[in-house]
Amino acid sequence: MKIPASIRLTYRNIMVNMDTGTMVFMLGLPALYLLVMGSMFQTLISGVSVNGETISYTHFLGPGIVAMQTLTAGNIGGSMLWSDRRWGMFEQLLVGPFKRTDYLLGIMFVAIIFTLGGSFVMLVLSEAISGGFILTAISITLTVLALVIGTILFSALFLIISTIAKTMQAYNTITILLFFILDFASSIFYTITPQTPLPVRLMALGNPLTYVIDVVRNSLDYTPTISTLYDLLIISVITAILFAIARQLYQNIKMGI
Amino acid sequence: MDCTLRLVNSTTGNAIEAQNLVKSYDGKKNAVDDITFSVRKGEIYGLLGKNGAGKSTTIKILTTLIDPTSGSVNVLGYSPQKHPLQIKKRIGVVQQAESFDFTTVENNLKVYATLWEIPREEAKSRMEELLELFELTDVRKTRAFELSGGQKKKLQVARELMHDMEVLFLDEPTVGMDPIMRRRILDNIRKRAAGGMTVLFTTHFLEEADYICDRIAIMANGKIRVEGTSFELKSKYGGLRTLEITTPDSIVETEILKLKSALIDSGLAQDAMMEGRTLKIVGKGITKALEEILRLARNYIRNIESINLRDATLDDVFIEVVNNQ
Repeated sequence: MKIPASIRLTYRNIMVNMDTGTMVFMLGLPALYLLVMGSMFQTLISGVSVNGETISYTHFLGPGIVAMQTLTAGNIGGSMLWSDRRWGMFEQLLVGPFKRTDYLLGIMFVAIIFTLGGSFVMLVLSEAISGGFILTAISITLTVLALVIGTILFSALFLIISTIAKTMQAYNTITILLFFILDFASSIFYTITPQTPLPVRLMALGNPLTYVIDVVRNSLDYTPTISTLYDLLIISVITAILFAIARQLYQNIKMGI
Repeated sequence: MDCTLRLVNSTTGNAIEAQNLVKSYDGKKNAVDDITFSVRKGEIYGLLGKNGAGKSTTIKILTTLIDPTSGSVNVLGYSPQKHPLQIKKRIGVVQQAESFDFTTVENNLKVYATLWEIPREEAKSRMEELLELFELTDVRKTRAFELSGGQKKKLQVARELMHDMEVLFLDEPTVGMDPIMRRRILDNIRKRAAGGMTVLFTTHFLEEADYICDRIAIMANGKIRVEGTSFELKSKYGGLRTLEITTPDSIVETEILKLKSALIDSGLAQDAMMEGRTLKIVGKGITKALEEILRLARNYIRNIESINLRDATLDDVFIEVVNNQ
């Protein structure tokens, strides 16, 4: 049976990312956030008020950590282009039996697989710590949809950086900075309320991760409303724009120079 | 049309054809400048030249990585611009630049086998064979980036040989390898070529080209300056001799440069260079002007240990062609 080229490349991407470093980045770090940060803040914060309900901090943090996987896996996916260009594998693969589109799909697929796998682990961990998540067909579907779209969004973002960064230092600086801003100026660790300082609030509202988290949190903790669908629409539009830019920049990569 | 039957150009029987090929990256200087050549099926064709001569650019065009500025190319009867995938499915490429996945040696080979859809059992036996051939068995569990330069290159070549191909492009494949390994790889490639595989080979080791290539083209400044079998080239540049003068003392570089200028200016030699304690003087009329050359050399070399006059090698042909471009 013929295996499609993009699936073979996905397998390759999984194999080359199955190392301790990537696993710590993908699972270890978020798990530590959940366990250490969650339990520490739990002792300081009596509860978090969301949608008129007060929930424990660890319960609040869980969906945020689940959604955070889109950023982490998106980074792993998008960074593959940088790494492959840097270490000669991009050209090597493209003189093999693959089209540029196959390579791009391979990156997207591996990022989605990593997101879904990582999210599942984080959800199980969150459920074990705080419990009480709503797992219905609708909540799971909306969560998966938000995670998949979010992953494509962040993969596209890191693909853009991979195509424009000229040096490893520049690439690393940009990604570290982006990680910090996207993680902390979002609703992963705290609620965005009118009391939130204006600059942080504006950054959080302009941060697509906030909307991914909102969809996941609303789906897993509450009954999804029309605003959940709006959030989904917002991330879909941003994804479409970023993906179009990433694809264009990717197609324009000159080889053999 | 059944594309799988178009293994070679149906009219000429050539596996590779380039006609008036031109590539300019900046629109000003041509990296490849109007070259025409063809490679027959099962032939090992060597592209030689200094760095920047246009060898790698030619390979990148043939392997579909970059488009030519003008001219026509076909590989196995297909145009790289129109049917890149048809070509890519049938070729193997060992690039000059380092390329490997950030995983173990073994996984690099396994992943490549999957990418090329090699059946599992076949992949396993090929992997063992190649690990053995390339002496990588001891480092099979080592991560590729921890290997030495020569081992990385061996991995690159071994990985490419995991799959079947009709044309193999080798861009300086033996850099960093010891002579025994180089010879072993060359013999393996020659065996594969005997089985019908076409090889386009670039190298800086001219004795390698002499050993393995059926035909050789020497490139300089983007152009093919000469083309032929190693024997033809040596015959064409017949009369070219190398005079080797070994001295027990070391000679200052400025003195060598002065002697070189004196020899070239007086038309006694085409080139002179110092290798260790041996001065090599290359030229056509060396035999006749031996006495005069030695007299001139005496001005710069006080003691002479030995003198050796030998026939042209491919190195001499190369130097002659490149210097007289």
